[in-house]
Parts: sequence; structure tokens; C-alpha cells
Amino acid sequence: MPRRLALVALAAILLQPLTFTQGASVVQPGTSPLIVFRILFTAGSASDPAGQEGLASLTAAMLAEGGSRSRTYQQIVEAMYPMATSVNWQVDKEMTVFTGTTHVENLDRFYALMKDMLLDPGFRQDDFTRVRDDAVNFLKVSLRESNDEELGKEYLYNVIYAGHPYGHHNRGTIPSVQKLTIDDVRGFYRDHFTQANLVVGLAGGYPKGFDAKVESDFAQLPAGSADRKTFAAPAAAAASTLAIVTRDTRSTAISMGFPIDVTRSSPDWPALAVVASYLGQHRSSNSHLYQRLREARGLNYGDYAYVEYFPRGMFQFAPDPNLARQQQIFQIWIRPVEVNTGVFTLRAALYEYDTLVRDGLSREAFEATRQFLTKYSNILTQTQSARLGYALDSRYYRIGDYNTYLRDALAKLSLDEVNRAIRQHLAPNRMRIVVVTKDPKPFQDAVARNTPSPIRYNSPKPKDIMDEDAVIQAYRIDVKPADVTVVPVEKVFQ
Amino acid sequence: MKARHWVVVAAVALAGVGAWMSRQAAGESRGGNVFPYAYSVDDLPNGLRLVTVPTDYPNMVALYVVVRAGSRDEVEAGKSGYAHLFEHLMFRGSENFTPQQRDDIMKRAGADTNATTNQDRTTYYAVFSKEDLDEVMKVEADRFQRLKYAEPAFKTESLAVLGEYNKNSAEPTEKLDEALYETAFRRHTYAHTTMGYLQDIQDMPNQYAYSLEFYKRFYTPEYATVLLVGDVTRERAVDVTKKYFGGWARGSYKPDIPAEPPQTEPRTAHVDWPSPTLPWVAVAFKGPAYSDTAWDKAALDLLSPMAFGPNSDLYKRLVLEEQKVDDLGANFGNHPDPELFTVYARVKNVKDLDEVRDRILGTFAQFTRQPVEQSKLDATRSRMRYSFALRMNSSPAIAAALAPYILLTRTPDTINKVFALYQQVTPEDMRAMAGKYFTDNNRTIVTLTPKAGTQ
Repeated sequence: MPRRLALVALAAILLQPLTFTQGASVVQPGTSPLIVFRILFTAGSASDPAGQEGLASLTAAMLAEGGSRSRTYQQIVEAMYPMATSVNWQVDKEMTVFTGTTHVENLDRFYALMKDMLLDPGFRQDDFTRVRDDAVNFLKVSLRESNDEELGKEYLYNVIYAGHPYGHHNRGTIPSVQKLTIDDVRGFYRDHFTQANLVVGLAGGYPKGFDAKVESDFAQLPAGSADRKTFAAPAAAAASTLAIVTRDTRSTAISMGFPIDVTRSSPDWPALAVVASYLGQHRSSNSHLYQRLREARGLNYGDYAYVEYFPRGMFQFAPDPNLARQQQIFQIWIRPVEVNTGVFTLRAALYEYDTLVRDGLSREAFEATRQFLTKYSNILTQTQSARLGYALDSRYYRIGDYNTYLRDALAKLSLDEVNRAIRQHLAPNRMRIVVVTKDPKPFQDAVARNTPSPIRYNSPKPKDIMDEDAVIQAYRIDVKPADVTVVPVEKVFQ
Repeated sequence: MKARHWVVVAAVALAGVGAWMSRQAAGESRGGNVFPYAYSVDDLPNGLRLVTVPTDYPNMVALYVVVRAGSRDEVEAGKSGYAHLFEHLMFRGSENFTPQQRDDIMKRAGADTNATTNQDRTTYYAVFSKEDLDEVMKVEADRFQRLKYAEPAFKTESLAVLGEYNKNSAEPTEKLDEALYETAFRRHTYAHTTMGYLQDIQDMPNQYAYSLEFYKRFYTPEYATVLLVGDVTRERAVDVTKKYFGGWARGSYKPDIPAEPPQTEPRTAHVDWPSPTLPWVAVAFKGPAYSDTAWDKAALDLLSPMAFGPNSDLYKRLVLEEQKVDDLGANFGNHPDPELFTVYARVKNVKDLDEVRDRILGTFAQFTRQPVEQSKLDATRSRMRYSFALRMNSSPAIAAALAPYILLTRTPDTINKVFALYQQVTPEDMRAMAGKYFTDNNRTIVTLTPKAGTQ
């Protein structure tokens, strides 16, 4: 019989942990019986060789969803089954992270499995065939044919970073993944899963000396050289562009954005974080776009803005950590709208964006948003896993403890600095727009002839909305007809 | 001989009619309880229940209000999706707070606030710093008692619901589920999804008067449980709940949810999906309702991962070895009425669809004949307990883990009871329950394929 679990310890004191950076480790020792691992490598899909896009992701998937040399994947699944745990992977442009959480009672057994998976992978052909199929089906079916908004957001990144090391989806392209071999995976593992790229993240009530043991075990990896290279800003757009992805779908999804030269390392990041939160705090009604597009007009389910990459946003309320990048974009995400309001909604979003760039934030909006973000960082970092993840990202960005950094920066921030940052970083006229729809013509007409897109509501609207609509319905979409492309969905991720 | 030791819970009798009725519930941490936190349950005279779970996660408080109104309660034809619509309308203002005022308060508090709806419940939550408890309770309590929205705002919000339908509409499994439930259920309201039918959503703007009636029916204290988890004491929780929710008037509505007659034949349905996708098959049997005293559901809960989880023989064969399926899993939730035990599979090649369906059916049949191995049952029990423990990694996560059980029994105690049941189920119990529920006449199969030529 399984022994009874002494879960009472879960109610032990769980104060905010201290973070220690020791060599290539970030550790947060505490008293929780839940032990969190984040084994991070500062190498990701930006290191995919040309023609082998998706290799970093496939390598990570082979480690986490394939066998080790001593155990088949089935044996690993079976061993982890009674512990209710697993090793999960995430690959972004510059980071690959393996996460796992175990109850301290199972720590030794779990760690032995995880260690073997990451340090002594089996690289079997049958595992490879399966995870490669998964990657192809993810791109071809799950993303391209089942989720228009995530498709639009990811395609936007492809457009912005065309010709750049960030220019392909982290999972690759369909033809590049289909060509990958198990030897390619072996080579990528050997060259990039190195001590030079490694940061061990560990949190919870692990026994004394356990962190040193993990560090010593992972020192078996080849020394290697660090991937950390400098990624230049993508080529600047001369003017705004519109890419229309066509597929047989019920509604119309809209995303837009442009590169910014601001990351969490930059002095202006807190200012832009305030701007994005004000304009479109993720999944919150407390933001301007949401209020104007959804609350006032009922155009869709939500409208948000970002200054950092936030994949899987339709499934999550909070971003995953360990997506740190040297290059970020400013992004607006308009959730799907009815086909006949697509052009109006795009115009409304551009109108609101241009108004923000022209007028900046009001004193009241600035103070309220600053107060929100100061407290909200505590919500983002509530779990051990999130705190550890943020600590690893803070190490990358060299900003110290995230909550302290943000709280102090926000306390010092002024409205003038925010509005200066808007003028400096959010220039108009270089918006890359992506629309996923079955009907490109109204968008093409609106661009070519500025064809108005009047809207009819199912209820009376206040005068200020009607007045604004009169402007929005013919608001110029500042894209030259030559800069409109129509892309059948089967060409995306090819 | 099996030892069926119930975890006997000291249920102190409720005392004092018309006064605050309180009991220090049985949650005092005891070794072995899967829900290890001490908690208290306090009942207001108006029928509202407060459950308080102080935790040691500092500074933050999670407020969950669980309302016993879900798509199960939508009994009138043409009125699917109203429980979910209400989740939206509750953000449209109340007598003392306009939506803007509410947003301003939540923004100042740095609160994370939202809501969810499923078949059985609507759950409203806010996570915030403890110093904002009073203000958040005040604004939340107002909308539960004095929701106030005008018809134009109602019509606009119904379009946001349509937007939610739209954003989900590209996902084939949404349609698969719609077909599955309307095929499996003919009288019970589980026949329609929580989102509701598109034509009902499109008609919502015309149903302002009905929406007011819906609020009157379900937004009453006896339908609600307030859950406060985090850096909060029982005394403080009782104080603010009494202060802001104490005047909420009890209602009288009792929904008449039609019972589903026994199914007398196997059923099938098919969805033609207009765009390229991989085929899906869903094999479902009507299962038992949630219970923390009867064996039926507990036995099948244990069976679910053993038969169809990532460690199951079927998964090993179809997903890992033969690689004919890239997604395989079972869904068997806890519901107050019998719902579906469903296995879903996404098949890589349409030519394998029938074979995959038959092998899922064969697996169901096998568990009706052969008792599982004791060692695998033990491993599954362990998995379920650790799985629950690993979820509870913050105050809102604890509240989220509790909310479904609060809907079912209004007390966290049921978690320890049902996990005690899991400890007692034997391989023979599981075989017997599989034989009772996994019968041909109790089965519904739905397939989804892309229209010819598009795969």
C-alpha cells in the first residue's frame, strides 16, 4: 500500500523566499514540500541552423517526451505516474527550459529520472518519429486550422522578423521539421546543451546540499561555449503593412505590432509596461481598448496590448516565465470579430492607438495604472514556480528581484517620462497588421479606396460613441495597396 | 476482506436557528487528509455559506463566490447559454457601483478578477492584497444583491458573448462536444453546452426581460457560497461577509431539471468539419453523479487514468508504439447529475478511425471483465493524491481546487471523504462498476472528420 502522505506540511510557513545566484544556479530554498525545478539553457530557436528551423524545439521535446538511455519513455511515464509529475519543456528564441515539480517525498526518485532525461538522453528513432509528427501536427492542424487568434499572433512575429533569426515559429516550419533527422537532434544537443548555456533553477524545501548535488551532476555536461549572441533589431518597416491570411472560418482575427528597442533591461521598460497595461492589460476589463471596443461597442470578447512575447494567451491569464529575449515587439491583439465588423474594428484599434500616441496618458490613467502594476506583480509571482521563473529572467535581464525592481521603478516613474517614452518608442505609421479571415475584400477595398465601414448596433449608443464612430468608419488605414498581401493559410509556416 | 474505513468527520450539529450558525469544521489538519488546511464553515441566516481557509501564503487573499447556476439550470427551450451570459452581465454594474467605478476599485487594488461558468456553476473570483479585503467585499456584494444594467448595456454584452463563441469556433472539439452532448442527452439540460447554441446566443439581445428573471432565480444567497482563502482569519472573514452580504434576501426558486430517462440503445453522430483537420472520435458512456458516499463514481475515477491515461496500455499502443493517435484522454467530471465518461482520440490518419474507435470500445469492455492489478490501483491512488497536493501551490490555487467541491456539497470536507473512498475501492469494485455503466445501450459515439478532400 502506498504510504500516507504527510501533506500537513503544505500549510507550513511559506514566506517570500530569498533568491541566491550562485555560479550557474538560481536557488530559492524554502520550507514548501513542493520542490520546483527550472533547468534553463540560454539557447533556443534563434540558434536553429538555416533550413533546420524547429530543431531546438524538437531536441527539447526529445528530452522531455522521449526516453533516456537507461529507460524507455514508457518506463519513465510509468515511474512518474504514481508521483503525478512529469518533465515539461518550453523553447523560445533564446531560452529552453525544462520544468518539473515534485513532492519532497518523491524528490530522489523524480530527480533521478529528470537527471537521466536531460543528461543521458536515449534518442530513439520511435520517440523521434512521434515527437516530429507532434511538431508537424501542431503547426499544420492545431495552430493553422484550430485557433485563428493564436495563428494571427504567431504569424505577426513571422512577418516582423522575416529574414531575422527570430523569423520562424519556435516549432519551425512544416517542411523544415519534416526534414529533420535524429542525428540533427543529437548534434544540436551536443552543441547547445552545455554548461556555458546552463542555469539551474531550484526552489522549495529540498534537503541541505541537494542544490550542490544538482549543480555537480549537471557539471557533467560539456563545457561548450555560450549561445548568447547579439541579435540585431529586425529591419525597420518603411510603412505600415497588412497581411491577410485567408481560411474558411467563421470570424475575423486581428493582430498588429512593430518592433521596439526596449526590454526588461531598458530604462524605459517600466514606462512601456504602464502604457501596455493602460491600453490593454491582458484578460482584464481595466484597460482602454477593452473598454472602447468590447464594453462600449460589443465588438468582440477582448482587446489587449503587450510589450513582451506572450504565447498561448488565449489559454492563460498570466504569462509563462523564461521567454526572455533581446528583441521584443509592441503588440495589439484584437480577439475575433464578426466578419462584417472586421474593417471597422481594425480602424477602431488603429484610431485608439493613434490617439494614444498623439495624446499620451492622462494623469489619472497614469496614477491608476501605476498603482495597479505595483500590486499586480505580487499576483504574477504567487507560486514558487513563477517566482523561480521570474528570478531566472531577472538574471538574464540583470535587474535584480523582479518585484523589487518594478516597485522601485514605478515609484520613481513620472507621467512625463511615460509620455516621452510613448513618443520615442510608439511611432505611428509602421504597424504590421495581420488579419485572419475568409473575406479579404473589405480590407483590400478599405486600403485601396478608403471605403467606409459604417457599423450598426443592436442598441442605442451615447453621443460620444456615435461621434467617434463617424470618424472611425472612414479612418484611414495607412497602408499602401502594394503593401497588402493575401496569404492562403496553407502557405503559413511553410 | 476489504477494509472500508470511512474517514469519520466530526460534524458538529448546527446550532441556533436565526442566529449565526457556525461550526468549526472537520478540517483540522490530520495526517492523511488530502485537503490539509484547517477551515471553517459559517452559515448566515439568509442561507449564504462562508468557507474560510487561512493559509500561510502571505499578504494575498482569494475571494471565490460559487453560484449554483450553470447550463444545467437552463430548462427552457431557446434559452441555452444564459448562465454564462450572466457571468458577463455581473460585470455590467450594480446599484452602488457603475462598471467604471467597479473597475477603478479593482484596478487600484491590483486585483486579478474574472469569472467562469460550466454546466453546474458560475464562479466569480478576485485575488488581491489583504488590505483591500473590505473594499473588494463591498463592491462584490453589491452586484450579487443589486445588479443593475439597462437594456442597451445588456444588448451590447450579449455581443461580447457572441465574440466568445466566435473565438472558440475555429476549434473542432467545440463542435464535437456540442454534437456529443445533444446526442447523449434528450431530456436533461446537459444536452446543451455551457456556451449554448449559436441561434440562442444570437437571440440573446431580444431577451432582456428573461435575463432579469434569471437573476432573480439564481442570484440568491441559498445558491451561493463565499470562499475566502489566504491571509485572512475566520473572524475577519465572518465580519466582512456578514457586513456586506448579510442583508441579501433569500429566494424561492427551485429548478425543475428533467431527469434523463435510461438510454435504451447505442447512439452515434457525426460532424463534417468544413476545413482541414485531423479526425476525432469520442466514445462516451453515461456515468454516475458525484458522490462522497457511494462507490460508483470513485471506482470509475480510478479507472479513468488506468484505462486511458498516459500510463495505460491503450495509450502505450496507440500513441507511443503504433503512433496512430496523437491525443488520447478521458474526461469524467464531478457533477450533481449523471454526466458522461468520455474518451477522446485525435487520429493521425482517417483510415485508422474505425480501428481506433473499436480499440477504445475493446478497452472499455476489457475493464468490465478483468479486475485491474492491485499494484496499478495503488499507483493510481498515489497519483491522484499527489496530483491534488501539487495543485495547491498558492491561495487562489487552493480556492480553485475547492470551488468544484463547494458547488457539489458546500464544504471542503467532501474532498477528504471522496479521497477516503478512493483508498477503499478494490479491483473488483472497479470491474463491477465498469460492468454497470459501460454497456452498449448506455453508449454514444461521435466522430468528426474534415469534408472529403480537405485532410
